[in-house]
Amino acid sequence: MTEPIVRVERLTKVFRSYRREEGLRAALKSLVRRKSSEVAAVADVTFTIGRGEMVGYIGANGAGKSTTIKMLTGILTPTSGDVVGNGFVPWRDRTRYVATIGVVFGQRTQLWWDIAVVESFRLLKEIYGLSEAEYRERMALFDKVLGLGAYLHQPVRKLSLGERMRCDLAASLLHRPPLLFLDEPTIGLDIVAKANVREFLEEINRQEGTTVLLTTHDLADIETLCRRVIVIDHGKLLFDGALDELRDRILPITSIVFDVKRAPDARDLEWNGRPIREVGLHRYRLDLDRREAAPATAVKEIVNRFDVSDLKIEEPEIEAVVKRIYQEGIS
Amino acid sequence: MSAVRGEGTPWRAALPFARIGFLNMLAFRARYYVGVLTYLFNVAVYYFIWRAVFRQGGSVAGMTLEDMVTYVAVGWAIRSFYFNEIDRELGTQVQEGKLAMNLIRPVDFQTVMIADAAGQSAFRAVLFTIPIAIVLALVFPLKPPASPLAALLFLVSATLSFFLVAALNFLVGLVAIRSKSILGILRAKYLVFELLSGLLIPTTLFPQPLRSILFASPFPHINFTPAALYLGQAAGTRALGLLALQAGWTAGLLALGQYAWRRSRRRITIQGG
Ligand SMILES: Nc1ncnc2c1ncn2[C@@H]1O[C@H](COP(=O)(O)OP(=O)(O)O)[C@@H](O)[C@H]1O
Ligand SMILES: [Mg+2]
Repeated sequence: MTEPIVRVERLTKVFRSYRREEGLRAALKSLVRRKSSEVAAVADVTFTIGRGEMVGYIGANGAGKSTTIKMLTGILTPTSGDVVGNGFVPWRDRTRYVATIGVVFGQRTQLWWDIAVVESFRLLKEIYGLSEAEYRERMALFDKVLGLGAYLHQPVRKLSLGERMRCDLAASLLHRPPLLFLDEPTIGLDIVAKANVREFLEEINRQEGTTVLLTTHDLADIETLCRRVIVIDHGKLLFDGALDELRDRILPITSIVFDVKRAPDARDLEWNGRPIREVGLHRYRLDLDRREAAPATAVKEIVNRFDVSDLKIEEPEIEAVVKRIYQEGIS
Repeated sequence: MSAVRGEGTPWRAALPFARIGFLNMLAFRARYYVGVLTYLFNVAVYYFIWRAVFRQGGSVAGMTLEDMVTYVAVGWAIRSFYFNEIDRELGTQVQEGKLAMNLIRPVDFQTVMIADAAGQSAFRAVLFTIPIAIVLALVFPLKPPASPLAALLFLVSATLSFFLVAALNFLVGLVAIRSKSILGILRAKYLVFELLSGLLIPTTLFPQPLRSILFASPFPHINFTPAALYLGQAAGTRALGLLALQAGWTAGLLALGQYAWRRSRRRITIQGG
């Protein structure tokens, strides 16, 4: 593998928050000693990202995704740990570093609310020092892929969420950054807008080799865009690897569901010590642990043993995998 | 790579922010027309107060009634120009988490805040300060600048006032965000600034040793210095000395703002997202 574009080492962010106490006595007491609690929003997280990768950063609400992104974009200073992105330490070389990255926070916009979108883009052109020709070429691309031209002369407050997100994506990519951070870029979008955003990201990644780290709650984003996922929970890194690998590790179950024409012999309803269950009218199911037995062998056996009219193999949905992680963690 | 080119050129980066500040004001211009009346009202109040004080004629600290009314009017006119709310803006940005959006761009934060305010001030200079000045000159018996040179020094000084107030407000904002009651601090600031800057009372009228203490602080340079230059109260080398002092305070407080911002950065946590 070539030199990683992002290197994160033992990254930790501890927030100290002072609780406001209820009641007079508690309030008086808090004058003397304020009760503070510490939350390790990100705890000892280590990973690297290679050039051109698209990595999904997932976890439940409050897992520490946004906090990680904020440290990786130079917005927050970590409590401890190191980050190097594009050769810079984000919070130390902030102004030079952010000239080389793009950032989108789905929950807010970096564009000016009350003035025409195009004015925001003109400003970005100046601060990134783009020539008029570069700017024109870029805007033409955004118009082609995102249909930006249609709302360039409207103030942001008049745009729909999907239109706003397209503008924000374009704004983050105006200066051709090799590295892009997206915090929930599809939040609140309808299906069409989501698909549009995904296509655009795919295109940019393919055409310009842009490296992307994105957080999302929509696993379809991950399935279409990311070969690799990083899972965090309560600030800790739980998993880092291929999506398929995550599935194998958490729910290594493949189900073979088949229909039969004739009721089978009760003695046959078992394979290698695993029960074959009746799940419907003439319908049976065998749950296999992929680590123990290859589904293909079982399928061959089933077809031999029963009078099968229909058969399908079901992999666990990634949705179910992640739900399981959120509920039970990774052992 | 084009991406790296935009770094660290504060002026090229600052101007477009000023443009945005200007455009933002344009989007809300109606709100500011009301302000013209407020200024007129304020000057009227002080006009009648000073007229009562000068009923017997004569002068106070070397100023006649005409001087005094001109001083007050000039003060309020330039206040409409140098006024900005960088402190409040900084507070809201931190509270609402908008600060993050300023940090993801390759520009210095203080520069951005001041450039934006400069755009607003440029807007106000045209659509606010000039109409106010004209109305004031029609309504009240005002003196012209003491000399063409005085007029020039006044313009330079008024411009410096903007940067001085901007530098001070940036610092006030940084202090305010550390406290729980940002608005309380900002309200107190207005009172203190208006009194100490010489807007309400010429700084030369303060009793000793208060006067000396004030002149050793940056505050009189907000209002007293430009108004005194206009009236020709300081001329020649004394005028230049005053201007140099004003410039020195401005530069020093801007630098202090940079330092304080670097220090606060580590502590500021950005909510939301
Ligand atoms: N500025 C802050 N001050 C105190 N606690 C915070 C702050 N920002 C985030 N947290 C806490 O840190 C944890 C992680 O938050 P966040 O990174 O926003 O999670 P996610 O984006 O994965 O939903 C949460 O428990 C959250 O309450
Ligand atoms: Mg989040």
